[in-house]
This record gives sequence, C-alpha cells and structure tokens, in this order.
Amino acid sequence: MKKLIFIFILAISVTAIAILASSCTAQREMYAQKSGAELWAQNCIRCHNIPSPPAYSDVQWETIGLHMKERANLTTEQIDKIVGFLQAAN
Amino acid sequence: MIMKRTFIVTIGLLLLGGSIVAQGSKPPKTQFMVRGYGHAGLDYIKTADGTDYSFVGAAFSPIFLFKQGSRFMFETELEFELQQNKLEIGLEYANLMYVINKYLMGRAGKFLLPFGTFMERLHPAWINRLSSKPLGFGHDGIAPASDIGVELRGAAHIGGTAINYSVYVVNGARLKDGSIEPDEAGMLSFQNYIDNNNNKFVGARVGYLPLYNSSMEIGASFYTGKPGDKGSVYQDVTAFLWALDFSFVKQISPIKGILDIKAQFSQTKLSDAYYPVGEEDRDSTDLYTFNNLSRAYYAQFSYRPSMASSSFLKNLEIIGRYSKLKTPEGSEWESNTDETTIGLNYWISWRQVIKVNYAFINSEGGHGAEEGTGKQKSNTLFVHWAIGL
Repeated sequence: MKKLIFIFILAISVTAIAILASSCTAQREMYAQKSGAELWAQNCIRCHNIPSPPAYSDVQWETIGLHMKERANLTTEQIDKIVGFLQAAN
Repeated sequence: MIMKRTFIVTIGLLLLGGSIVAQGSKPPKTQFMVRGYGHAGLDYIKTADGTDYSFVGAAFSPIFLFKQGSRFMFETELEFELQQNKLEIGLEYANLMYVINKYLMGRAGKFLLPFGTFMERLHPAWINRLSSKPLGFGHDGIAPASDIGVELRGAAHIGGTAINYSVYVVNGARLKDGSIEPDEAGMLSFQNYIDNNNNKFVGARVGYLPLYNSSMEIGASFYTGKPGDKGSVYQDVTAFLWALDFSFVKQISPIKGILDIKAQFSQTKLSDAYYPVGEEDRDSTDLYTFNNLSRAYYAQFSYRPSMASSSFLKNLEIIGRYSKLKTPEGSEWESNTDETTIGLNYWISWRQVIKVNYAFINSEGGHGAEEGTGKQKSNTLFVHWAIGL
C-alpha cells in the first residue's frame, strides 16, 4: 500500500514538473522580453519609491546598479537592462 | 598650397578634438560614490507616569560605494547617531562583493544578513514607512541584523517566475550566560565580532516571486549554530532561528494607487540550559531553566494614491502596522508586547519624506521592568523627516 502511494506521489510530481517545464518556455521567453523600463518599474518599487532617472549621472547609475543587484538580488540581465534604461532616460 | 595646409590643419584639429571628446565621455573603470540617509524628528511619549517629548535623531548613515570594473565592489555603511547624550558610531556593514557569474555573487566581510527582509532591505529611515522598527527587529532584536563572514547569493528565473537565494557562514551569535548581567541570562547577543567559539553559524534564505510582474515575494530563512562560550557549560547549547517573510507591492488602477503589504515572522529557539539565580546568589548552586523561545512578527500595509490628479494627494501615504514581541516565560527578560501604529506620510520627493505616526503600545515585563507592574500602556507620537542621499 505504501509503495502504491509512493508511486502515485512520484507520478503526480513528474507530471507537474512536465507541465511546468512545457509552459516554462513560453513564459521564460516573455520574461526575457521585459524591457528595462518594465523591470525598473516592477523591481525598484518592491522596497522603495521608484528613483527618478535624472537623479544621477550615467556613471553613478552603473555604481548604484551593482549595489542594487546585490541588495535586491537581481540577475545580471535584469540590472543591465534597468541601468541601460536609466542611462537612456537620464 | 594654402588650401592644402588648411585642409591638413582642419583634419588635425578634428582628430585632436575627437580624441578629447572620446576621453571625456569614456567612463572610468573605478568609480567612487557616497550615498546614505539621514533623519531627525520629534518624539512625544505618553505613559502612566507622565509625558516626555524631545527632538531626536540628527542621525546620519553615509554609504560609501567603490566599484572596480563591472564585477567588483566594496561597500560600507557607517552610523552616526545621538543617543543618551552621546554620539554613537557604528559600522552597519563593510564588505567586498564580486560577481561570479550571471546567477551568483560572493560577499565577504561584515554584511547585512538575509534573515527575512526587514533589516536587510527595509530598515533605512527613508525606506521604512514608519519612524520606528517593528518590535523585536533591529540591533537589539531577537534576530540577527548583520555579521562577519562569507556569503554566496544570486537570483534566477524559473519560467515566468523568479527565485533569489543566499547561503552564508558567519561568526554567529553569542549566548549571554548571566555571568555579567544575570537578568540577561539566555539572551543572544548578535554583536559578536570575534568568535567566542570555533562553531560558526550557518544561514540561508530563499525568496520566490511567483508572479510575472514581480509584485509578490515569499521568503523563508534560517540561521543556526552553537552560541555558548568555548569550554563553558554552555558550549553545546544550540540556537535555531527561522523566519518567513511576505511582500506585495503594486500600483493598482481600480484603487488609483499603490498598495504595499509587508510582513515577517521570526522565531528564536535555544536548547535547554541552566542559568545561575541572581547576582546576590552568585555563589549558590541554585539554577533555573526555561523554554527559551522568542517570537516577533509584524504586518504592515500602506496605500498611496499615486494616480490621483492632485499633486498633493498623490504624495500622501497612509500606513498601518501591527507588531508583537514575546520573549521566554520564566526568563528574567520575559515580556509580552504589542504595538499598533498608524501613520500619514508626505513624500516631498521620491527619497524625502515627512512621517507623522502614532503608536499604541501595550507591554508586560521586559528587561529592567519591575515585578508585579502588570501591563503597561504607552502612546508615542513621532514626527520625523527622513532623506535618502
């Protein structure tokens, strides 16, 4: 009986992972297409007010970006896009 | 001939000018920046014994950032604050950081610990929506704020969701055994900059952002080790701390503003130990023990009508927070305190705010409280100004 339950749970888990993996690709592509402006608006607000792009220079945004990558635990791709947007909007 | 000279001179000037412009626009590999925050204000405290009010703060926390290339940074935050009529200077953190790859960074030094999110991300005066920290949080809280050690941290995407992670090894907390202050026996001190034993604490946090727009984050943390002094009767006492945190922040069109909900629950549990009874009984063999379990939690919401047409209204923010702290029954520092705070903020800019908060506090027991005094009520009005640099 325990063996049957174990196999049942294993089958459910494998099925769930398969569904997740197949839907992951489309969602992963959507995630990768997020613009710097989207990432800036969605991530900065998690802790504090969204900073104004003209508040700092391009060089300063690079420094702040690395500090925030660590503090907010963002990926390199995310922070590069955010800093790129802030420098362009500066 | 004259035309030829003019042409050559013109080309020469263009090349020289271009070189100067190119050097001026090339960013340096090393970059140094000062940031930080400060606050000041007025506290008006009303208790059963009367009222006290005083201007407070004049606190300044400079943050120094030194960036070398695109992977290496040294960062440090100092704290200058006037407390008890003297200037207190602290080192909040001072650490190296190195980007190993797209998903991993390393840190070494004294760094803010990812135990929950309040101390690591939300405690600066211009980020914390209220003027006080939740009960049990902060430098004298039941959980760690920062420590010295090494850490690996990073983030990754899983389909349309995101995950962030951190694992660290640090000197860890130190157990107060009551030999210096008997009424603190069994407390953990997180100001342990030279390890009191060779047992390091390990900890980790995982955060999950399940929504595509990253508006929600759910996190779980732990921190564990042996805090007793090496060679003492407490050397095998173990400490296990864990926390859950939640955050939801989103601009929602139907309510024409930003809803911000945050919460954290922290628990500290030490294994059983026996502590000597009272200072006057220093030579006696009387010992006592208790279930060394402490809990602290808070839940906070704020709403800012950021989509209002009025420029005054869109800078207002209402906040409410409930927090509770319970320290071990049977200990000399047993307490049961709850605090309800409501506030109204006005944002002068994205990083400058005036906060008006009113806190209703009910407390029983606590470190230094007189026995038999029962529940104490106090109310505090805070009017504070805070700025992020």
